[in-house]
Amino acid sequence: MKFILDAEQRLFGDTLHKLLAEADTPAAIRAWAAGSHEPGLTLWRTLAEAGVLAVAVPEAAGGAGPLPVELVTAFHELGRHAAPGPLAESVAVAALLDRLAPEDLVVTPGTADGWLAGIAEGGTVATLALPPAVPYALDADAADVVLTVDGDELRVAVPGEVRASLDPARRLFSVEGGDVVASGPSVRTAAEAARDMGALAAAAQLVGVGRALLDVSVAYAGARRQFGRPIGEFQAVKHHLANALVGLEYARPLVHGAALSHGSPDFSRDVSAAKVAASEAAYAAAKIALQVHGAIGYTDEYDPSLWIRKARALHSAWGSPSAHRARVLAALT
Amino acid sequence: MNIVVCVKQVPDTATERKLRSDDKTLDRDAADGVVNELDEYAVEEALRLKEAHGGEVTVLTMGPAKATDTIRKALAMGADKAVHLSDDALHGSDALSTSYAMAQALKKIGFDLVILGSESTDARTGVLAAMLAERLGAPQLTLARKVEVDGSAIVIERITDYGYDKVEATLPAVVSVVEKINEPRYPSFKGIMAAKKKPVETLGIADASVDASAVGLAAAYSEVAEFSAAPPRAAGTVVKDEGDGGAKAADFLASKKFI
Repeated sequence: MKFILDAEQRLFGDTLHKLLAEADTPAAIRAWAAGSHEPGLTLWRTLAEAGVLAVAVPEAAGGAGPLPVELVTAFHELGRHAAPGPLAESVAVAALLDRLAPEDLVVTPGTADGWLAGIAEGGTVATLALPPAVPYALDADAADVVLTVDGDELRVAVPGEVRASLDPARRLFSVEGGDVVASGPSVRTAAEAARDMGALAAAAQLVGVGRALLDVSVAYAGARRQFGRPIGEFQAVKHHLANALVGLEYARPLVHGAALSHGSPDFSRDVSAAKVAASEAAYAAAKIALQVHGAIGYTDEYDPSLWIRKARALHSAWGSPSAHRARVLAALT
Repeated sequence: MNIVVCVKQVPDTATERKLRSDDKTLDRDAADGVVNELDEYAVEEALRLKEAHGGEVTVLTMGPAKATDTIRKALAMGADKAVHLSDDALHGSDALSTSYAMAQALKKIGFDLVILGSESTDARTGVLAAMLAERLGAPQLTLARKVEVDGSAIVIERITDYGYDKVEATLPAVVSVVEKINEPRYPSFKGIMAAKKKPVETLGIADASVDASAVGLAAAYSEVAEFSAAPPRAAGTVVKDEGDGGAKAADFLASKKFI
């Protein structure tokens, strides 16, 4: 198995990192949390132009994919900068629409293809609810397409009230099923594929979130002085940071491994293993970041709070670690 | 229009840059190589001129094998092809011999317009555009914040301490650009993948008709005699405000002849 990214994949990741660093992403996150979507949607379109969503959409439908390794490379950077919006959800919708059998479609094929092409080029923001793993539609108020699946039926979803999330920049909406988009057995398998792709994207995002938290904590421990020396010189602080690094470095190959097993029978199992490791590593990194920063880590105005809350919310988004552990167990027994 | 953009791989400015202890040249292995930032503006300007006037954009770089990363990025942004001037004999070349080798390569490639960043973040001599123009017998239009081409006429706005000068010339010409000129695009995933299929020609010094005795460390007119690490920054002076803080600040500014 090959875990090393090639030169093109590295350039893609580096480009996204630079783009997000230069785009004042924290301001877009805060605006998004306040219900003002414009800066976030501008960033969304820039990211789509760079190809972030095209790698999730098949070439035949106007994208460049499906390319799972490029996808996790991109989502690692999206997590590293805590980019707002239903990014993993749009990836899942693309996976879902791609797998619907033509005979199960109730809407015209042109409608579904238009959504796919729109997701690839950034003009269409899509989100979905996939109960029970994804009970609420993320950022439905900012989305052009909101879907929900109930058994064999895929419907346009009608968003209800916004619900409080652990991460204010994740706006969760309960939904009710509206017009039927597709009906038949392919909906069920398409929904499973969507769940796997969404969980894979979220796992990559989590590793990126954890990495950003570790980096900012290491920098802080080197700058903050106490008892006459930088706090990073104290062994207890060093151990905390090392533990965060070990967790993330164990999770990253699982995420890349899952991307590589896309299309194989082990894909679902590998995605679940990756999601468990990524959730726990990022959440551990968030707790350690909070400890290392002390009181300032609790400060809303200080950027690490954006990642700390994102880590906690993504920890249980797209299936909790225990749900994913159960899937790994079922696959092994 | 046949545009050649000269790009350079430099050590990442975010990391510590070092010289080698053996021959006192830049230690290229000690830091990650990145595209010299101003060269991205040069690539962007070349692409905009191509989009407006048609033609082709060729990337030219001189550097060791690992400079291919820099070529890849310029091609991913949208340049059409690349020439990589690479030869062990070029190692240690100073600005004069670099301009000679680059000029030889440019004569071989052919050009209507050569665009460069106005300086590199590692050597910071800022003289290459002028030297190239002299060696190529082409007009030099340096420090451009705006470039306009109309047929064979080229006009630039050259930044100065007091504003800008309008400089006109006839193509073929050599232009260097400053960061005010544009906003470089990010390479898209499609651009990155397309770059894989674009032609990259590697030239040794013999291919570019470069005389080996005129380049490299031995031929350099400038020599690094000695180097040492920058001294650590001295601690600042802390002035406690005891009602006379303003006067003390004013005294300080006066001592530095600011007021």
